[in-house]
Amino acid sequence: MLLCVDADTAARRETVERLQAAGFDVAEASSLDAARRHVDDDLDALVTDQSLPDGTGLELVREVRETVPDTPCFLFTDVPIEEIDTAAFGDIVVEYVPKDTPEARAELLNLVEHAVAFRSQTAYPLPENEEARLAALERYAVEPEALGESFDRLTEIATELFGVDAAAVGLIDAHEQRFLACHGVSFEPMDREDTVCTYAILDDDVTVIEDVREDPRFAENEGLQAANIRFYASASLRTPAGEAVGTFCVYDDAPREFSTRDRELLELLGAEAMDQLTIRRDRRGTEAVDE
Amino acid sequence: MSDDGYAFPGLPLDQIRPGTTVLLAGPAHSGARELGLSLLAGPSGEGAIVVTTNRRSRRIAADCEHVGLELTADSTAILDCVGDEDADVPARVLPVSGPSDLTGIGMRYSDVHREFERSGIDSVRTGLFSLSTLLSFGDLKTVSRFVHTLVGRIDALDGLGVLLIDPAIHDERTVRTLSQFCSGRIDVRDGEKGPELRARGLSGQSRDWRAFDPSG
Repeated sequence: MLLCVDADTAARRETVERLQAAGFDVAEASSLDAARRHVDDDLDALVTDQSLPDGTGLELVREVRETVPDTPCFLFTDVPIEEIDTAAFGDIVVEYVPKDTPEARAELLNLVEHAVAFRSQTAYPLPENEEARLAALERYAVEPEALGESFDRLTEIATELFGVDAAAVGLIDAHEQRFLACHGVSFEPMDREDTVCTYAILDDDVTVIEDVREDPRFAENEGLQAANIRFYASASLRTPAGEAVGTFCVYDDAPREFSTRDRELLELLGAEAMDQLTIRRDRRGTEAVDE
Repeated sequence: MSDDGYAFPGLPLDQIRPGTTVLLAGPAHSGARELGLSLLAGPSGEGAIVVTTNRRSRRIAADCEHVGLELTADSTAILDCVGDEDADVPARVLPVSGPSDLTGIGMRYSDVHREFERSGIDSVRTGLFSLSTLLSFGDLKTVSRFVHTLVGRIDALDGLGVLLIDPAIHDERTVRTLSQFCSGRIDVRDGEKGPELRARGLSGQSRDWRAFDPSG
């Protein structure tokens, strides 16, 4: 769903109709406060005027970056660029499209379509096969809860095997990582930009980060600090076509090394978890045919 | 721009297809900065946007002319994050509050790109000098989002992007993460006989080290 925020009803309607005509589902709001109730996981992109009755568009973008940080955000406004104080909002990053030109809505639509398709405002790199990866996730993660027990066993074995604090199996969807099993730790779904696995699925083989605090990608990561994670290693759960739908990860509260043999074993655990997902998917497929 | 892509006469690089952004990685005094500016020198009819994060407009304008990048107010813009609004340079100079204002850089960039398009300039080469300054003022996550957005815009507009970084002063993982947003990478080193470049991830380019003339 897109969200279009503009206090000028006629201008907002025109924008909304243009976006709807292109096939988007669009919610609308006339103020910052009214916009807030649409800021959730279903938001695909935000289009907002800078001048709102109870605040500014940049303030709204800041809130969106806190709640659903991946969302492509567009400032669609006739406030001249010279009059917009960006210095206080330097870290939010937004696309800017002036509203007062004849071709403004055509340009906006082009940019929105591109940004939604390519997810170009994420703060992390996407795998080259991201689209295929998400399609694969749909096929494989049919009823992941049903695998909880077997994954619980695998994570318990992993913790013991490597002598680490914790292990987990997680799937990575478009915006979040969700955990199917955790042993020695408990994770709620996390924003993709805050998880190590987001970067791990870009690697071809096992990812090992001996000390996450020494890694510039995670040095400031409060979630990892709160969970007291210093060491991280993971193997991707990869389909035969190479799409990494999730990870099998292990964690420890102190930096440590991970031997070649450890890597091989972790890879085996990842392959086992992937097999479980595959078997479950195939069984579902058979049941569907039987019905 | 020809149908094939952006060309670089005088440099040992084949054409690069429209929509491409390259990470240009080279240490200070290696010739990387000069190479980056040379890559922006296109035939007449193309536009160039130079984002300068740590050198005043006047200085970057002199650097441009040194490598043969001709400046005109019609088709070249300098986004100045250093603060030199009264610069007497033959390009459009647009102020940004500072190198930590990534939102401001992005908005100014979109705005001037749009002005170029309206005046009939379809092909724009963009250079950012440099990511290293942005990283010293902002965290990797914020710079990543900015780079991703800029790369996406250059792709959508069939432009060419060149983002300079000094790999010697950053963790290798920082450089790799930023390179993952780009379609390719050009490394620069100080070879035995002068500066050399090597292209990676760009189709059709040789992957060997080749000497180049940093004065363009």
